[in-house]
Amino acid sequence: MSELLAFETDFAAALRERGRTPQMQRWLAGSGELVESRMAIYRANMVAAADKALASAYPVIRQVVGEDFFHGLAREYQRGTPSVSGDLTGFGATFDAFLAAFEHTASMPYLPDLARLEWAVHRAYGAADAPDWDAATLAAVQAEQQAAIRFEWAPGTALVSSTYPIVRIWTIHQPGYDGEFSVAWDLADTALVSRDGFVVTVTDCSPADAAFVGASLAGATLADAAAAALAADPHFDLGALLGHALSARLICGFTL
Amino acid sequence: MNAANPSVSGTGIGLRQPHYREVFERLPPLGFLEVHSENFFLEGGASMHALERARAAYPISLHGVGLSLGSADTLAGEHLARLKRLVDRVEPALVSEHLCWGGVGGVHFNDLLPLPYTGEALALLADRIDHVQATLKRRILVENLSAYVECRHSEMTETAFLAELARRTGCGLLLDVNNLYVNAINFGFDPVARLAELDAASIGQMHLAGHTVAGDCLIDTHGSLVCDPVWSLYEEACRRFGAKPTLIEWDTDLPALDVLLSQAAQADAIARREVAHV
Repeated sequence: MSELLAFETDFAAALRERGRTPQMQRWLAGSGELVESRMAIYRANMVAAADKALASAYPVIRQVVGEDFFHGLAREYQRGTPSVSGDLTGFGATFDAFLAAFEHTASMPYLPDLARLEWAVHRAYGAADAPDWDAATLAAVQAEQQAAIRFEWAPGTALVSSTYPIVRIWTIHQPGYDGEFSVAWDLADTALVSRDGFVVTVTDCSPADAAFVGASLAGATLADAAAAALAADPHFDLGALLGHALSARLICGFTL
Repeated sequence: MNAANPSVSGTGIGLRQPHYREVFERLPPLGFLEVHSENFFLEGGASMHALERARAAYPISLHGVGLSLGSADTLAGEHLARLKRLVDRVEPALVSEHLCWGGVGGVHFNDLLPLPYTGEALALLADRIDHVQATLKRRILVENLSAYVECRHSEMTETAFLAELARRTGCGLLLDVNNLYVNAINFGFDPVARLAELDAASIGQMHLAGHTVAGDCLIDTHGSLVCDPVWSLYEEACRRFGAKPTLIEWDTDLPALDVLLSQAAQADAIARREVAHV
């Protein structure tokens, strides 16, 4: 091993495990006490970077659990799932699974689904801008071909299903929300995450609409997606859903 | 390879999200705006739109914090590819990285960690910078670091190391005056003597920032006003190197925009005065 690689490997081990700091005395100037205190600065930076990145992706969970507890979550998450990139945008992708397994959040069983929703919002924020598309081209499709239409959804569009009222929880924790804060805990939400222009929106989606959007996002034809929706609810209103999806620019193209 | 970009001069500030609206409404007279490259490794959305608006009104300085030029095992090719996409999209006036490592063995610490200043590290960094400059098809600037530990096995000073890197690769240097001061206090050396190791032509940008005092150690936090000794060292640097594009760096506890503009005006006044005296 090269000297530089040995140095960095020891440094990395000392950051991740405080007990290995004495091995840095071989490399670093000063007393053992000084090395210990200075390495602690880097260790704090490491946790702060994880905390900041997770706070940016999961602002609602941070409000729900409080800043101090969130900092502890960030430290624990980072211990098991350290960053693998100099770009922290992708850090926290598995926070939902961590929360589902972490014993100290077991009393908040909605947190993993809320994390999935916040991650979808985080992804949508930086997703590619939807291409300009003239919805009138859809009207030109021959009637006998319409069943075979496959919609293209705007980048960032995602569905997050939960047995908890995650859309309600998300909504009442948004900056500027000034309504009342009651939560009907027995309601199950399916969140539709989308981006209209530069604004990320989260809306509660009926089971039938969710079945349609879910199938269509996965590549189903209009006929198959509509069949999935009708199976969920025989009163599914395809016209209303498409009207909304087109006016809110959720759909940005189609193929035949 | 381009020499120092002639289109950028004067003082700039970091463009940070809480200031977007006010900057675009007021368009304050600034030499350039700086952003952290990694915050714009996105396909689209509001942040990219803001950067495009900024680019239309100001020269942009892309300041990287995550490429980790000094990782002993590998340079992250995907990270460099993303940086290249951003550089191609933004056509920045300046592109800079740090003389540091950030991760090894597949784990990243997302911090700017110090290197030993050895011949081995110099050869590695020179190769990496050659590769980055060839990939980006432009000169980059490499910045001196704030550090809290010093390697026993260093064979030269950080400034001598940087000067040699510039000589070998043609890269420019980003002299962070606050970082130099922080290290001078933390390790007990004369920062003015270190300036003497640098060549004026190699310096493409300077940084000014605040730090915090934690017991016997100064910590580079970019969350406060530039302190008096750092202003004095900046005066000395301007006398030696001439006026260089200078950034007021402020990343935590962001103040009102006017505080940054006032710091920028102070830096401008010093550069004008000191260069006029030379």
